[in-house]
Amino acid sequence: MTVVSVAWTYLRGRAVTSALTIFSIALGVSLVIASVLLTQGIRASFIEGTTDYNLIVGAKGSPTQLVLSAVFRLDVATPNILYSVYEQLQDDDRVNIAVPVSLGDAYQGFRYVATTPEYFAPQPWRRKSFRLAQGRLFTHEPPEAPTYGAVLGAAVARRTGLRAGDQFYEGEEMAEYPLTVVGILRPTHSADDRAIFCSLATYWDMNEIAREMPVKPLTAVLVRPQRMSDLPGLHREFNVRGETQAVFPSAILLTIFQLLSLAEEVLTIILILVAVVVMLYLFVSMYSATLERKREIATMRALGARRLTILSLVLLESTTLALFGAIFGLVGGHGLTCVGTYLLAQRSGITLHPFQLSPLQLAVVIGVMILGIVAGLIPAMLAYRTEVAENLAPLS
Amino acid sequence: MRQAQAAVTLRGLQKSFPLGNGRVLEILNIPQLVLPVGSATVLTGLSGSGKTTLLNLIAGIAVPSAGKIWVHNADIFALPEPQRDRFRAQHIGYIFQTFNLLAPFTALENVMLSMLFAPVMARSEQRQRAQCLLSQLGLSARLHHKPPQLSRGEQQRVTIARALANNPPLVLADEPCANLDARTAQVVLAALLTICRQAHKTLLLVSHDVTVLGAADRVLDMAEINRAVGMEPV
Repeated sequence: MTVVSVAWTYLRGRAVTSALTIFSIALGVSLVIASVLLTQGIRASFIEGTTDYNLIVGAKGSPTQLVLSAVFRLDVATPNILYSVYEQLQDDDRVNIAVPVSLGDAYQGFRYVATTPEYFAPQPWRRKSFRLAQGRLFTHEPPEAPTYGAVLGAAVARRTGLRAGDQFYEGEEMAEYPLTVVGILRPTHSADDRAIFCSLATYWDMNEIAREMPVKPLTAVLVRPQRMSDLPGLHREFNVRGETQAVFPSAILLTIFQLLSLAEEVLTIILILVAVVVMLYLFVSMYSATLERKREIATMRALGARRLTILSLVLLESTTLALFGAIFGLVGGHGLTCVGTYLLAQRSGITLHPFQLSPLQLAVVIGVMILGIVAGLIPAMLAYRTEVAENLAPLS
Repeated sequence: MRQAQAAVTLRGLQKSFPLGNGRVLEILNIPQLVLPVGSATVLTGLSGSGKTTLLNLIAGIAVPSAGKIWVHNADIFALPEPQRDRFRAQHIGYIFQTFNLLAPFTALENVMLSMLFAPVMARSEQRQRAQCLLSQLGLSARLHHKPPQLSRGEQQRVTIARALANNPPLVLADEPCANLDARTAQVVLAALLTICRQAHKTLLLVSHDVTVLGAADRVLDMAEINRAVGMEPV
């Protein structure tokens, strides 16, 4: 028999209280883990999505809307700009690469994204790489010869069950223009997993208005300059025009992060309150358990237990409860993050990694155990100071 | 020489409790008392005569107001508290009137628990020793029963086994049969006396049972040894 086994027997002896305490700690830890992982993931996902291109050119309006719709497909598309804007950028010596993007309707909730093969081209500066799981990418198509080939993001293929060679369309009016799946991308863990890519020619041909337009429409152009020093000039040039705006995604990202920071601050306060409540619960649980067994503590002292042994016994109990709470909380937290990831992916295309391990998990376990020790200190001191003779007086 | 032959020696022992308003109630005042090694002494006296207090002082779980106590040559109150605790675990077995078994633990675990505080034997031997003691007291079929599943007589026998677990040379028993029926009390006391005699242990037992008084080597009446009996608060 050891002090550990004595502590364990006591915890088992009050199984319901111990289970409830562990559950409340686990609940608190789950909230902390899920909140931190989700906010970190959302942050990382935004960074991942915006750092590939330095400038986005679109129609005048809200810069945030332009970035959110063109990059993350989180907002409704901004009004169209003309294809000639893209041509100008392509011909500009200051531009390394310009990729046109047109956002269309959706199939089963997955948005059509019309672009050129450059969108998928491997680049040394690209953080995200596009690799095919099935089929091929579409090629450059002249406006008069659309092929109606579509490349599906990984989530689209998984959710719709479409495979290479399958045809699909949404709504009876589109039955004349079915798209054929020519390729399926591997997961990129970004909004692109939820996109249905097709060529601009296909997109224009599907759209009745665009079909008739002499100069075809676009939603935005993603721009990478030759040199960073070219950016301010390009930015200014496209902003002074009446019909276009140029936006630095990183600046929008900062705005989004500022909003997120505010939410994070509120969240931090809530999480601190959760930690305090959990600690109080653990304290009350340990305190009442110590009060209830003062006679047993006195008996142990009479049998020769030192005060420090009794102190360590109570601390061991509270730390064990905290440890189990932390472990179950980690599992619960990752489970909650998994649910959050699924919901985010469903609604926004933001893809997170719910089971990614980081120093956070270790920090939470250590933090909760410290809380366990702190919560157990007063009950442990109460046990430490238990007077033997007083508490062994015969029961009346 | 005196202390070498004595299991317990008390000298000038006093214990008093403050009552408030500067008044003090003296509970114990024993000028001298010696318990020889291997003796079985029964302590009798009226309720409130200081029997339990005397046992608590000898066990080192209460502190005297004055005087000294030697247990097997050790001046127990000269020892720092942690060492006194260790000494108690190794040298003194205490049997409580109200059993004081620890509810979440089985009979076997209750006995093994006292061995945790006095590492006098290897961990592997502890279980065997506890099983042996409980069997000796007729509890081999109750090893894994928890206190509420045991009768009062069985609980008291577990308490005796627990007190003897570390093979202490001194056993203190505070009315061990007060809560038992006459027949069970007889069985329990017989077992306790037999074990203590066989192992040449010193036994100090508080009891009013006439059969016990007859079986003891010596009977001490608190009224005779304690000058504080009947004293008013001062």
